[in-house]
Amino acid sequence: MIPPAIVELLRTGVSVNVGTRDADLLPECTRGWGIWVDDERQAVTLLLTESASAQTLANLRENGLIAITCSRPTDHVTCQLKGKITHIRPATPEDYARQRQWRRAFLGELIAVGVPAEQADAIIMEPAVSVGVHVTGVFAQTPGPGAGEKV
Amino acid sequence: MERATLTLKDLWACFEGIIPATIATCAKDGTPNISYVSQVHYVDPEHVAISFQFFNKTRKNIAEHPFACVMVLDPRAIQAYRLSLKYERSESSGPLFHAMSLQLQAIASHAGMSDVFRLRAADIYAVRRIERVEGITSLPTPPRDERPPSLFIEPDLHALRVIAERLNRTECLGELLETALHCLDEFFGLHHTMLLLVDEKRRTLQTIASRGYQENGVGSEVGFGEGLIGTVAIAKLPLRLSGLDHTLRYARAVHDRAEAVSGPDAVCREIPLPGLSNASTQIAVPLMIRHRCLGVLVAETLEPLRLLIREETLMAIVAGHLAAGIEQSAQETEDQVPIDGPLPTPPAVRSVSSQRSFCFYHADDCIFVDGEYLIKNVPGRILWRILKQHQDEQRVEFTNRELRIDSWLGLPEWKDNFETRLILLRKRLEQKCPDVRLVPRGRGRFALETSVKIVLSEKPA
Repeated sequence: MIPPAIVELLRTGVSVNVGTRDADLLPECTRGWGIWVDDERQAVTLLLTESASAQTLANLRENGLIAITCSRPTDHVTCQLKGKITHIRPATPEDYARQRQWRRAFLGELIAVGVPAEQADAIIMEPAVSVGVHVTGVFAQTPGPGAGEKV
Repeated sequence: MERATLTLKDLWACFEGIIPATIATCAKDGTPNISYVSQVHYVDPEHVAISFQFFNKTRKNIAEHPFACVMVLDPRAIQAYRLSLKYERSESSGPLFHAMSLQLQAIASHAGMSDVFRLRAADIYAVRRIERVEGITSLPTPPRDERPPSLFIEPDLHALRVIAERLNRTECLGELLETALHCLDEFFGLHHTMLLLVDEKRRTLQTIASRGYQENGVGSEVGFGEGLIGTVAIAKLPLRLSGLDHTLRYARAVHDRAEAVSGPDAVCREIPLPGLSNASTQIAVPLMIRHRCLGVLVAETLEPLRLLIREETLMAIVAGHLAAGIEQSAQETEDQVPIDGPLPTPPAVRSVSSQRSFCFYHADDCIFVDGEYLIKNVPGRILWRILKQHQDEQRVEFTNRELRIDSWLGLPEWKDNFETRLILLRKRLEQKCPDVRLVPRGRGRFALETSVKIVLSEKPA
């Protein structure tokens, strides 16, 4: 179960970074545009765009293994979630509604750390693909000596 | 839109650490991992470096499976790029490590975390592929030629910086001169070089160091105004001669002059100038300090069009450093060294059957060893003084200072670069008589070491 502190963190406009690998174990990384925890705190949903994340989606369809590192730009509080995907499908209107919520918080974070508003606003977040993830591990990842410890 | 192949240099703005990068790796069991990297450092067109501070999952994965994918962002437009990397090696010393370490320390000290943030190594990765991530931003990517010239320096500029640092680290004049010629060879491929220093009193230049010749030619002389080198010493301007005619090729005049001088001894009292007999291009640049010329730095090559304005420029910069170093060494005193050395001890004579016969000609302060010309003038007198004291008083240690104030040697009182004379003497001995050596014993002090019996004789004027 995802600890409450992490659920809280994921509500605050964190940046979403996704790691996967292919059949030869070659790693791939991409950016996600939105993340939220489901009611049972066992799973998360995140959104990717097909154009920026083609290899990531191919990897996920092939083996389903995913690592997600989320970090809050203003204070670098960071966690990593590991898991296996439960679904990949085009984003629904509900997904977009959740994304808009996340986007507001995320852009606020970016502007707070000095990213010009027009740059933050120009990030392409749709059309999105919704990826469901059953979380199997949660790790503290805030930079420093404790990074990598299981939460 | 497919663009021309991207190079690491096109991504210069991503390497400033403005937006943190991410690195994805994979464990042996297939579990992916993704974490942040504060900065990806540009190393060269094929490599980047990532700091290794903590033993974390990334580091563990890389040890098991050396592949990584890094995403960097151009902060000017939030344009993302993926780098496919393969781990190559870790550096825990050297310029890159120190630069990265210093940066980290500065950040850590700001945060009061100096003990926690410590660079363990700079991990060097080969870049296998660079991919521009499409569909990240609706803003246009800044044009590729928008690149500050200060970020990626020209290799020559970098080499000059390294050379300047190396020259500044040298401990003595001899090391300075050798380092300069070595660097010109190593960094700029100037394989045949020589350095001559000006003797104002005698209006000549004397070779004090050379590189890339069969005979080092140390001690050979060129008169002011003679040939390329003598001309440069007078004009105090660099000179480059390409497509040399044989007769111009050197102040081989030196040799010719020697042969023209009457008397059998005179001929062999000249050391031939080192040089390539079939050089196609030569460059000579003066070593200037204020308006004085201290010497001339010479390079030559067999290949035409190899020594051009670039080489001349690089040599002129190195010559400037040399001039400053030589001037500095001439002004250093040996006051801190006491005149009285430790009790002299007779050197070990390995084989009494082997001996070296030194003969001093008072007429021209010239020394022959076993019938061959060795050295003359002030260095000749210095050697004679040392050999005599060794024979008469069994002394083995000497100080520059005692010799400097020895009136018989006839050294000018002010600004004499005594060290250059010792270097000359040392190198001539190495070449002609390697079993008699002048070995430095710290600043301003040296010892006479010999493994043969020394026999002295004199010819009066």
